[in-house]
Amino acid sequence: MAIFNLKSREIECKIVYYGPGRSGKTTNLEYIFKTYKKQVTDQLVSIDTEGDRTLFFDFLPMGLGKIRGCDIRVQLYTVPGQVQYSSTRKLVLKGADGIVFVADSFAIRRDKNILSLKDLDLNLKECGLNIFKIPLVLQYNKRDMSSMADGSIPIMSVETMQNDLNRQLKVPYFPGSALTGEGVGRTLIESLKLTLIQLQKELKWAQK
Amino acid sequence: MTLKLQISYVINQSWELHVLCDLSGFNPPEVAFGTYKQVINRWDAEKPISFISSRGIVMSIKEQIKSILQEAEIYRTQGLLNEAMIKYKNAAELVEKNIKQENRQSLVDGITKKIELLKKTILKYNDPEKPPEMPVEIQNLIKDKFAFSADKESAGLEGAIALSKFGQFERAITEFSELLKNDSLRLVAAKNILRCFFATSSVDGALSQYEQWLKSGIFHEGQIKKIRFFLENLLKDKGIERKLPLADIPEVKAVPEKAIFEKKSMADIPEQEEVEEDDEFLDINSVGITITDGPQKGKEVVLDVTFQSGKSVSLIVPGREKILIEKFKVGLKLDNVQFYSPIAMLNGSGVISAFTKISSGPKMGSYSLDLKIST
Ligand SMILES: Nc1nc2c(ncn2[C@@H]2O[C@H](COP(=O)(O)OP(=O)(O)OP(=O)(O)O)[C@@H](O)[C@H]2O)c(=O)[nH]1
Ligand SMILES: [Mg+2]
Repeated sequence: MAIFNLKSREIECKIVYYGPGRSGKTTNLEYIFKTYKKQVTDQLVSIDTEGDRTLFFDFLPMGLGKIRGCDIRVQLYTVPGQVQYSSTRKLVLKGADGIVFVADSFAIRRDKNILSLKDLDLNLKECGLNIFKIPLVLQYNKRDMSSMADGSIPIMSVETMQNDLNRQLKVPYFPGSALTGEGVGRTLIESLKLTLIQLQKELKWAQK
Repeated sequence: MTLKLQISYVINQSWELHVLCDLSGFNPPEVAFGTYKQVINRWDAEKPISFISSRGIVMSIKEQIKSILQEAEIYRTQGLLNEAMIKYKNAAELVEKNIKQENRQSLVDGITKKIELLKKTILKYNDPEKPPEMPVEIQNLIKDKFAFSADKESAGLEGAIALSKFGQFERAITEFSELLKNDSLRLVAAKNILRCFFATSSVDGALSQYEQWLKSGIFHEGQIKKIRFFLENLLKDKGIERKLPLADIPEVKAVPEKAIFEKKSMADIPEQEEVEEDDEFLDINSVGITITDGPQKGKEVVLDVTFQSGKSVSLIVPGREKILIEKFKVGLKLDNVQFYSPIAMLNGSGVISAFTKISSGPKMGSYSLDLKIST
């Protein structure tokens, strides 16, 4: 639910990083905070528990400057991925204009990715949104682990993850590593692109 | 655990032939070419229990255990504690089964220690901790960012509810108290204040707040009855049976409501009784309305709830939902309506009590719809 201020020609939109616990949502925001200093407009707010699990949400405000005469401000949020924080996830998801789904490439987390995507679908419905319509991008995170010397950690292939998560959605996807930063920027940029195209359709700001 | 045996034959530097045999005999062997790592990734396999390589090295049990322990360690550092636990237990099992008793004590001790430590961490993390009191700036951020309504009063209520949902009860009480000044929100705010006291286990706080309200006279008798009923139920949930006094203190009636707060005229506000009769209703997040005729018959349109007061919900109907917009008018009864709440999904009906086009702001072109639920 973007806020469009016609008078000051400002658009404020919300992108939510969703995904199972420990998949790397917070690490994505931390990398963005470190790397895109020019666009970041304030501190990264992280509200986490002992053990660095997100308790409520992370929040990172960014400014993209003017696009077609409109000042674009973006707010990035992460949800807490742990199953028990379901009601907080719903609260944070409310009013989202775009979603980045961060999936864990560890084979051992395969079911958790699928469950979390189902949870996203359900929660979007409850917010009156539709997973097939909302701008959505997938990130297959922790790919750096597949180059560990001995292959001691079973990592899913991209094809498997595509098959599990993106067979029906058919949305853009990015293998990446929030730890090294690989793919983080591309994921964000694609999400911004899709979100702004959608908002342009809804708000038609470029024609005003 | 499935028992799998992987046999590998090295052809050259980048090509190896791998055969994965399922020792349970349920599945035929799988064959693949590539490096060990590539193949493992392709199979998405749990690591095979035995690894025989054509280099002549049979991965020794000790190596396997070491490798499983390494895996467990990585999961542990990533905070994947249950996964780490599974792996530690796998390793322990392997030790138990395969290593002679006289050689295994130090290994067993090491793994047991790790499992015990991990158990403690899991317990600690699973223990629902009291949400921390956050700095004022973060509380302000929550109040601001989690209020979505354009209208100031509803936004105030949403912000205060968000604060309480995020466990910032003291601040939420302050915000709800501010909302007591508002006629239409007074009762909802009061109940939320009591909820916040109970959430912080301050039964005394709730009781003295109630007494103070009795004295202050800001609620009329009907409202006080409801608050009393609400509070008695909260107490009952805590196992406390208690009859509370009603508004029988003389000043209560002596102090006219309007004298307490500067309020807008009461004239256009419906009788309080009518507004509040069912404010015990579930929190509804969204409402699904099924199109009953035409080419889109059967399609469910889910609409976001922007505000709720008891059994009355306000919804936004996007301008694109032309079929609904054409049909909707005040007084129309909608059957087969789905009400989605965080804890349940209800089917019921509702009557449209207001329907207006939004003519300014970000939702311009959409319609605002008030629905009175008659489940
Ligand atoms: N190797 C590797 N580790 C990662 C990567 N991304 C995240 N991690 C690690 O995974 C763990 C969890 O990362 P977080 O970013 O806290 O995960 P989250 O999704 O925010 O988790 P919740 O807040 O519990 O939902 C941390 O130990 C990170 O260092 C990655 O790309 N590669
Ligand atoms: Mg997090």
